[in-house]
Amino acid sequence: MSAIDLPRRVFLLSEDRELARTLDGLWPVEGQIAGPVVSVFARGRSALEEIFEQPPDLLLVDGRLADLPFTEVVALVKGENVYRQLPVVACLTPAAAAALDPAAVEIDDFLLLPIEPAVARARLELTMSRAARSLDANPLSRLPGNTSIISRIQNLIDLRQDFALAYVDLDHFKSFNDAYGFARGDEVLLMTARILANTVRDLGAALSFVGHVGGDDFVCIVPVELAEKACLRIIDSFDRIVPSFYDPADAVRGGLRSTDRQGQLREFPLMAVSIAVVFNLGGSLTHFGQVSAIAAGLKKKAKEKVKSSYVLDRRREGNGQPA
Amino acid sequence: MSEDLKTEIKDRALEIRNLPTLPLALTEVSTLLDDPEVSTDEVARVIGRDQVLSAKVLKMVNSPVYGFPGRIGSVQHSLVLLGLNVIRGVIISTSVFDIMVESMAGLWEHSLGCATACQRLARRAGFKDPEEYSVAGLLHDLGKVVTACQMPDVKARIDEVVAADDLTYFEAERKLLGFGHDRINAWIAEHWKLPLRLKEGMAMHHKPQLAQYYPDVAAVVHIGDFLTRVYEFGSGGDDQAVPLKPEALKLLKLTMCDLEVVLDELEGDLSEIAGLRFA
Repeated sequence: MSAIDLPRRVFLLSEDRELARTLDGLWPVEGQIAGPVVSVFARGRSALEEIFEQPPDLLLVDGRLADLPFTEVVALVKGENVYRQLPVVACLTPAAAAALDPAAVEIDDFLLLPIEPAVARARLELTMSRAARSLDANPLSRLPGNTSIISRIQNLIDLRQDFALAYVDLDHFKSFNDAYGFARGDEVLLMTARILANTVRDLGAALSFVGHVGGDDFVCIVPVELAEKACLRIIDSFDRIVPSFYDPADAVRGGLRSTDRQGQLREFPLMAVSIAVVFNLGGSLTHFGQVSAIAAGLKKKAKEKVKSSYVLDRRREGNGQPA
Repeated sequence: MSEDLKTEIKDRALEIRNLPTLPLALTEVSTLLDDPEVSTDEVARVIGRDQVLSAKVLKMVNSPVYGFPGRIGSVQHSLVLLGLNVIRGVIISTSVFDIMVESMAGLWEHSLGCATACQRLARRAGFKDPEEYSVAGLLHDLGKVVTACQMPDVKARIDEVVAADDLTYFEAERKLLGFGHDRINAWIAEHWKLPLRLKEGMAMHHKPQLAQYYPDVAAVVHIGDFLTRVYEFGSGGDDQAVPLKPEALKLLKLTMCDLEVVLDELEGDLSEIAGLRFA
C-alpha cells in the first residue's frame, strides 16, 4: 500500500486467545518475505485510539467482543471519511453470520468461527489487496491512481527496465468546464480515459499501464520504441472525437466564446491533448521524483502549441540511445 | 388509430434485447477479430457496412456505463472508445437470422446503398463530417428490422398490404398501424440514447421539412433513400418509387445539377458495393 515497503499491520480485537494464536500463526516468517504483523487487543475500547492514530492495513473484529459491540467498532471506523478505506473483517459464529444485516453493518468481509487457517489467510489477503485497489482507483474513471502510478514507476526504475512514461493532459479543459459545467467536463475525461486505455492496450505490449493522476492529468507507460506511435494515435483519436462533446455551433466554429471575469469576450479553441514523454534508458532514472521534474519541463514545451502535440525527452539522444 | 396499439407496438419494439444480423457480415467481422494484428479502422470499416452491428456498437458506446450518453455518432469513434475487447464481446453475443435471410438481405443492401448516397450528398452539400450522415442513412430503416424480429406477425401483415394494395412499405405501415418505421426509429434512438443528430436522420427522413433540430441530416437521408431507390439497389420492402420532397433539396441548397453529379458518383459506388454478398 505504501511506496516504501513497510510490513503490513493487522489488528485483531478479540478476547479469544485461541483465535489470537491462530491468526498470529497465519503468516509465519518465510525467509525474506515479511507477512503482516498481527497485533491483538483483548479489549475493543483500548484499541480505538491506536486504530485512529495509526490505522492498520486490516482490522479484524470478533463478533463476540464484550466491552463494545463489534457493530459499534465498525460504525466508528466506516463513519469517518479518513478511515473508511480501512478494510474491516468480522469473525462471526455461523449463527451471527446468518443474522448479519449487510446494510446496517459496513464490514468488508467476515470469517466463520472456528477459523480455518489456510482459507482465512487467503480471504484476508484478498480483502487487503481489494482494498488497496479500490482505494487507489480514480473515482471517476476507475483507472489506477497515484499510489499505483508511483509504485509502478518506482518498480520499473528499481528493475532498471527501459520504459517510456507519457504525461497526458488536456489544453483548454478549464474553459470547457466553465462554459458547459463539470458534468460535461467529466464526460470528456471519461472519453479521454477510454482512448488512452484502448490505445495503450492495442499496442499489444506486455509493458503497458494507464493511470489517472486526477482531473485532466493522466499517465501511460509504454515500451520505448512504441512511445511515438502511441502519442500519434492518442492525438489522432482525441482530435477526431472531441468536437462531438461541444454544442454543434461551437464545434462548427472550432471553439468556445465566453466572457471572462473582466467581462471581456474571449475565444477558446477546441480542447487538445499535450503529451510529454520521459524515457528511462539503461537505468538513466533513479527516482520517481526525477520523472515528474523532467515531465514538468517538457509540458511547458508541449503547451506552447495551440494544437494537440507531444514532446519527447531529448536527453535520450544525449544518452546515445536509438531514436 | 388506437393509442393502445401504438403503446403495444412501442413496448414490443423496445423489448428488443439482441438484434440478429446476417450470417455473412458476422462471419466477416469475427474473422477480422481473430487476427491479433487487426486495426480498429479495419474493423470499423466492416462493421460500418452492417446496420445491425453498427447500431449495436453505437448503442453500447452511448450507454450510461461509459459516461457520455448521446455523444458518439460515428462507428469509427465508437470502436476507438469501446476497444476491440468489448467489440469481441458484442460480436460473440450476436446471433444471426435463421429465417428471413433472403428478405433481410435486400434491406441490408438498401441500407448500405443509402449510407453511401448520404455520404456523397453530404460531401456535395459541403458538410464537414460526411460519416455522420452516412451512419444516419445506414440506420434509417432499422425500425423495419426491429419489426421483423420482434413482431413477425405485424411484418407479415404489412407485407400483405404492400402486395395487395400496391403501396410502399411506409404507406402500408401507416395504413395498418397508423405510424411507420420512422416512429419506431425515434423510440429506439431515444431508448438507446443515440445522438440527436442520428435520431433526427432516422426519425424524420420521410418528412425532413418538419425536423426540428437537424433538418440537414433528415434531408440528406431523405434524398439518399430516394437515390438508392432510383437505382433499385436492394429493397426497402416494396418496389415503389418514393416521392422526392423538393424542400429537402432546398434545405441543403442543392440543385438538380448537384443531384445529377451525385447520381453519377453513386453509380460507381453502388457497382462497387454490389460485389459484396449479403446472404
